[in-house]
Amino acid sequence: MRKTPGSPIEHPTGIAAGRVLIGGLAGLTLAVCLNASSLLDEAKRLPDSASRSASLAVWTPLEAAASALKLTWPRELGERLLGRTQDDPPITLLREQTAVTNEIDSGQTELIVESVQKETGSDLSSLPMTNTPPELAWDENNPLKIWVLGDSMVQFFGETFVSMAEQSPVVDGTSEPRLSSGLSRPDYFDWPARVAQVMNEYDPDVVVLMFGGNDAQNIRVADTQWLERFSPPWVNEYRRRVGFVMDIAAEDEQRTVLWIGQPPMRGEGFDTRMQLLNEMYQIEADARNSVHYIDLRSLFTDASGEYSRYLPDANGKLVDVRLSDGVHLSHWGGEWLSELLLSEISRFGDLGDLWGQ
Amino acid sequence: MLFPTLAFGLFFVAVYILNWLTRPHPLVWRVTILGASLFFYAWWNWRFVFLLMWAVLSNWYAGTQIERSLRSDNIQGARNWLLTAIVGDLLILGVFKYYDFFALELSNLLGANTTLPLLELTLPVGISFFTFQAMSYVIDLKRDLVKPMPFLDFAVYLSFFPQLVAGPIVRASEMAPQITHRPDPRRVQSAEAFHLILRGLFKKVVISSWLASNLVDGVFANPDDHSGHDVLLGIYGYAIQIYADFSGYTDIAIGVALLLGFRFPTNFDCPYRALSLRDFWKRWHITLSSWLRDYLYIPLGGNRGRNVETCRNLLITMILGGLWHGSTWNFVVWGLIHGVALVVERLLPTGNLHPVLRWFVTFHVICFAWVFFRAESFSNALDVLTAVVAFSGDDQVSSLPVLLLILVAVGTQFISKARTEQFSRWRDQHSALTQGVMFGIGLVLIDLFGPEGVAPFIYFQF
Repeated sequence: MRKTPGSPIEHPTGIAAGRVLIGGLAGLTLAVCLNASSLLDEAKRLPDSASRSASLAVWTPLEAAASALKLTWPRELGERLLGRTQDDPPITLLREQTAVTNEIDSGQTELIVESVQKETGSDLSSLPMTNTPPELAWDENNPLKIWVLGDSMVQFFGETFVSMAEQSPVVDGTSEPRLSSGLSRPDYFDWPARVAQVMNEYDPDVVVLMFGGNDAQNIRVADTQWLERFSPPWVNEYRRRVGFVMDIAAEDEQRTVLWIGQPPMRGEGFDTRMQLLNEMYQIEADARNSVHYIDLRSLFTDASGEYSRYLPDANGKLVDVRLSDGVHLSHWGGEWLSELLLSEISRFGDLGDLWGQ
Repeated sequence: MLFPTLAFGLFFVAVYILNWLTRPHPLVWRVTILGASLFFYAWWNWRFVFLLMWAVLSNWYAGTQIERSLRSDNIQGARNWLLTAIVGDLLILGVFKYYDFFALELSNLLGANTTLPLLELTLPVGISFFTFQAMSYVIDLKRDLVKPMPFLDFAVYLSFFPQLVAGPIVRASEMAPQITHRPDPRRVQSAEAFHLILRGLFKKVVISSWLASNLVDGVFANPDDHSGHDVLLGIYGYAIQIYADFSGYTDIAIGVALLLGFRFPTNFDCPYRALSLRDFWKRWHITLSSWLRDYLYIPLGGNRGRNVETCRNLLITMILGGLWHGSTWNFVVWGLIHGVALVVERLLPTGNLHPVLRWFVTFHVICFAWVFFRAESFSNALDVLTAVVAFSGDDQVSSLPVLLLILVAVGTQFISKARTEQFSRWRDQHSALTQGVMFGIGLVLIDLFGPEGVAPFIYFQF
């Protein structure tokens, strides 16, 4: 039979749209109840914002009700069966998790913390520190240990750097990026604790640190108290945290610590904020003998000193050094930074021509 | 707005209700769906809504002019309008996607003192998909394969949110009747839709993300640091990852459209069971390969000429197909490998070989090409390939779970049609409430097994 416009197309099977809606909503409600704890955790991890408040307002009572009705236990059981505990963070994506959001009014972009792993602070005083002096002669049995730690920026150059560094057979490199992390939200990822743990367990000879991309956000100092970003109390607190991490990494004076500043960013507002953070990093690094601040602005700006995605290499050939998000480094940008780092490590660590430089 | 997010869930519930409430009122329904689609697109970047609307307006207008010219037997006029529309579409694609690539290559070719201005534009999500759909519309109009669509119908077709950002590339001839004819609200294919959405989410959130995090990203980032086994597994892993990622998106898109009363064409048909490259392209991203066949390969001459011309057409089609994915040499090489393999198949028929051998060779040619598709650069691809046979590095990821996952994923490609039909019959017999409850439990399980956060779909960048 020929169909006329507007007449329904019949299917041999199927269910009425209203019933599908009821069934679907029942399923979604069930999913929300079973997942209430997880949803509440995700809401807590959001940056200080109206959306965080709204999410908490929705999920807090729902989670309480679901818990009271024992609806959250299947999920908890599942977590336990998978061997996850409250302190054991779930697997995080290693790629592309960082969100880039538009700032409606300025049109600039900024990274935000999308999710966090736990809502507990760290007890740094309880973490043991190492004081073992490193060996000065490196060989394959006693390699020069280099650790690179930081946020998603590390993801885009860390492995390249490790690969280049390990071209010397006496180097053992490790890159550990934590996406969406930083120093503003230890409730998301506790970097001071992790840095202390790495220093204690692995005693690296060189530590490369890079934070900041996610840090231009309000800082929570108590359950309900937030410090507004770049306000004087915020600056004091953030500098304290930067200095604290530097002190942990540089406690062993033989260790070379490099703190990488943020490169220029395409978004004007975001770039300004990163420059403010860079100033703090430089001040804190200058106050410590074994911490060296690495300025990336000159490496990643064009002849006019501005951000550019494409820059000429040593042969004058233009290469794209940044990703299309205007924030992260491309593969080539990662190589440039890695070369700079190897040169700086050789210089500050007095390592001679470990990489034939 | 990514499919596997709470925001999309809320958005879709609202759209579902509005869709079925307004469906009896054609004008209201069209405006509602268009508004919802534009909202969905604006979620990424509202500025590009204007670009999308420009593509809608320009192609629709060109379409009306083509139709008018054809009706008055002005073939040349129709040709001119078609050319204008295609040039306009390619211009959009060229400016946003390819200009910087070619300007950069040209600047480097001309020397350090000659630098062409670079635009450094953000690539609008889904641009390759909606421009290809728009081109298919105006070409099909000229070929008299489709009737001109009213403006709102065309706007709904081009911007329809389930397929807007990563396909499938739905032809106007497939969508127009579904926009015009109201689906029966008493016959929503919910069982199939929920199944497809869950299957897509599982592929994306669990399989693709897990393989990326635990195997592929590490291997491709630092192949020298991995053993040959690891790198080989990494390559196989990427073959599964990209299939799970893209076919997962397609499954969700088809499922979401089904709930709204639309049926999209199949985009994947067990591609890794293919016994030849020709067979593979009938199973992988079917809507793109058929687009390339109908609008590029056949107009170039297809297989109508001499063997050498057919081979040339195959190579051009596959290289441009590679370039469609992105403006890097790696995609060109990927397309070239497929093109050369298709040419070799044509010149050296393999039909007499044992099917297992044919499958083995086909699968490994596909995996070989994926290395260039995934690698950050050409040298990175060569590093990965060298590392497979270098016998250096340590085993870091070679483990039973990784191997099992890859084997199971490839194995699922060989599940018989009878089995899937048996499952469909079982699936379709449940009530809406049972389907909903199973859907809810499925969502919780996927969230439980999946990693934290959701990575964008790989094909969003194309």
